[in-house]
Amino acid sequence: MKGWRGLAAGAAALAVALTACGTSGSGGAGGDKTLTVWLMDGSAPAALTDSLNKEFQESNPGVTVKYEVQKWTGIQEKLTTALTSNNPPDVIELGNTQTPKFAAEGTLLDLSGDVSNLNGDQWLGGLKDSLTWDGKQYGVPFYAANRTVVYRTDMFEAAGIATPPTSRAEWLDAIEKLKAANASNPDFQSVYLPGQSWYVLLSFIWDEGGDVAKSDGGTFTGTLTTPEAKAGLKFYEELVEKSGTKAPKDTDEATPQQMEVFAQGNTAMMIGLPWELAGAVKANPELEAKTAAFPIPSKTAGKTAPVFLGGSNLAIPAGSANADLAKSYLKLLGGKKYQDQLAATGMVPGTSTDTTQLASNPVGEAMAASAPGGKVTPVTPAWAAVEAGQNPLKDLLTSVLTGTPVDDATASANDALTKLLAG
Amino acid sequence: MTAVKTTTDAVPAGVPTPPARRRAATGGAPRRRAGALDRALPHLLLAPAVIGILWLIGFPVLSVLFTSFRKLDLGELVRGEIVWTGLDNYAEVLGDSEFWTITLRTVVFTAVVVGVSVLAGLLIALLMKQLHPVVRIVLQIAMLLAWAMPQLAATTVYQWMFDQQFGILNKTLVKIGFESFAGYSWFTTGTSTLSVIGLLIVWQAIPFLAFSLYAGVIGVPKDLYEAAGIDGASPVQTFRAVTWPELKPLLLMVTFLSMLWDFKVFTQVWVFKQGGPDGGSTTLPVLQYLKGISQSHFGVAAAVSVLMVLILGALTFQYVRRLIRSQEGVL
Repeated sequence: MKGWRGLAAGAAALAVALTACGTSGSGGAGGDKTLTVWLMDGSAPAALTDSLNKEFQESNPGVTVKYEVQKWTGIQEKLTTALTSNNPPDVIELGNTQTPKFAAEGTLLDLSGDVSNLNGDQWLGGLKDSLTWDGKQYGVPFYAANRTVVYRTDMFEAAGIATPPTSRAEWLDAIEKLKAANASNPDFQSVYLPGQSWYVLLSFIWDEGGDVAKSDGGTFTGTLTTPEAKAGLKFYEELVEKSGTKAPKDTDEATPQQMEVFAQGNTAMMIGLPWELAGAVKANPELEAKTAAFPIPSKTAGKTAPVFLGGSNLAIPAGSANADLAKSYLKLLGGKKYQDQLAATGMVPGTSTDTTQLASNPVGEAMAASAPGGKVTPVTPAWAAVEAGQNPLKDLLTSVLTGTPVDDATASANDALTKLLAG
Repeated sequence: MTAVKTTTDAVPAGVPTPPARRRAATGGAPRRRAGALDRALPHLLLAPAVIGILWLIGFPVLSVLFTSFRKLDLGELVRGEIVWTGLDNYAEVLGDSEFWTITLRTVVFTAVVVGVSVLAGLLIALLMKQLHPVVRIVLQIAMLLAWAMPQLAATTVYQWMFDQQFGILNKTLVKIGFESFAGYSWFTTGTSTLSVIGLLIVWQAIPFLAFSLYAGVIGVPKDLYEAAGIDGASPVQTFRAVTWPELKPLLLMVTFLSMLWDFKVFTQVWVFKQGGPDGGSTTLPVLQYLKGISQSHFGVAAAVSVLMVLILGALTFQYVRRLIRSQEGVL
């Protein structure tokens, strides 16, 4: 019943899209078409997309795939303009925290009718929630990844740390040992931790049992003033102080790119994503044999801290002129062949439950260990504004790290967050 | 001006020839029609320009005005819906106490930046007049280069200079003995952040102001200075009695322009700290961006724009009035 209605709505949306863009849509099956695909920087390796696009073009004669890689910085603004234009791209990748906004505003094609055709039974739960709005699916899960602590095996060995830490206490202990062993290197940093790495803060707050916001019948209010949130914040502060990180206190992990700092070889740890390690290895190939990862330790020994389940969804803009082609593109990309390749690069595949390939990657193993406890940011269209505008969590971190009392800082950040979440 | 002249000429020309008119009683009509054409011709000639300007400027202005009375979020924009909400957007903006803080901040910021940049521009203009030509040309080239620098490039350079860890400013201060500046952050409060941004904007504004005012300075007739010299006026007296009256209209003009530019400056403020920390350097244009692009409430953003125009109008009212009056004086 629901499926039929979804299909009808999808067909209607498709009909509208086709008539609206009559010039490019009426080219007929034999005409030359261009399928514009936007994927994000660091998502799928070039080898994967090259063979994917080649295969797609071979099985769809007359179709050219215009493949473009987009940068994460400023993507929301770019998508806003692209989706409202007359000629939007045909396939886009959206961060899972951004998807509710675009889904709720009706800018994406309803794919509810195609779910079963797109491996719907194997979709990754956390991502499926993020692309479901009002009971309809507005995208296809692409991949998920969570942050792990990437570390230098050689430095750990030299400092006499036999096994990676499994609790916060052991982690801080390892930091002391690393600092002592590398005291002669003035550029050494035990952890590179920028002041505004707010996804890391989320982990610490969740580990304390707190959260950033709670839902009360659909409206969200900030919960940064709770003792749990404050405790998470205090651990972040402690980690910054004890690690002696030289990272700026008023930028996030993208300014400068933490992988570039890590690649310089004077840093023992960074809390990052698989693609960030890949980027560091690309800049400094020596690191490949000297790096591994462990899950972010919990305050409870032996457990891992809950991590932010970051990830991406693939979607088709409502105004796409080639929606059918876009769907078959998603089907190909969501198939086992390419999902396995994705898993081999260290991503949790979005449309395949087979994660055996993941274990072949050192970061993948640590990720798989903490992924089951993964959490997401509040699923509300208003969350996108938190990330695209002035993120109160970033301001909170900077003000605490530069000496504002935790109570004052959390109070003002909580007000700002509640206001943003109200829309 | 020519339009005024032709019509005024035409009237006296018609007055002394009543006999001719009486003589050709039937010919009067075409003559009068020619007069109407004469009167209409300037307007006809102006029409294409007026229509063009109305289309290019009037249409966007009206569009913003109408948008400010609509609920226009991403969804409405994509679906092409028109939802009128009356004054809701204005109520939302004006009801937010933060709006007034931001407005006050923007006005103070504009006033300080305009004041400092106009004063600095004036001083450099006066200095240039006294300089040896070679030194002057070097100075002019340096200013031209600063002026030609793209906004984003200049902003990035300033960010590097003021960087907490690697910035040349902190390093220099430490080298010359101010140890406490090691790792000092210039962006902990909104005021300090805006001060750095203000410095950048002043630096970028000075070349235009200095060149314009220098043109005014060298336009002052030399004999006035000679006369002042013969009368035994001191440099200060000469400035007050000769240079100042000649420069005043120009100074008024560049101040007015600077106010327009600095009030709506966005690029530098946004790129520096996105209006942070804690919204402390958020100015009205940044608020507009946050409402419109970040939160996709385009109607609310349009309301902010309209309010900005009103505030700017109130601020520059005196200037505009004086400008119009002084122009009438010239005519």
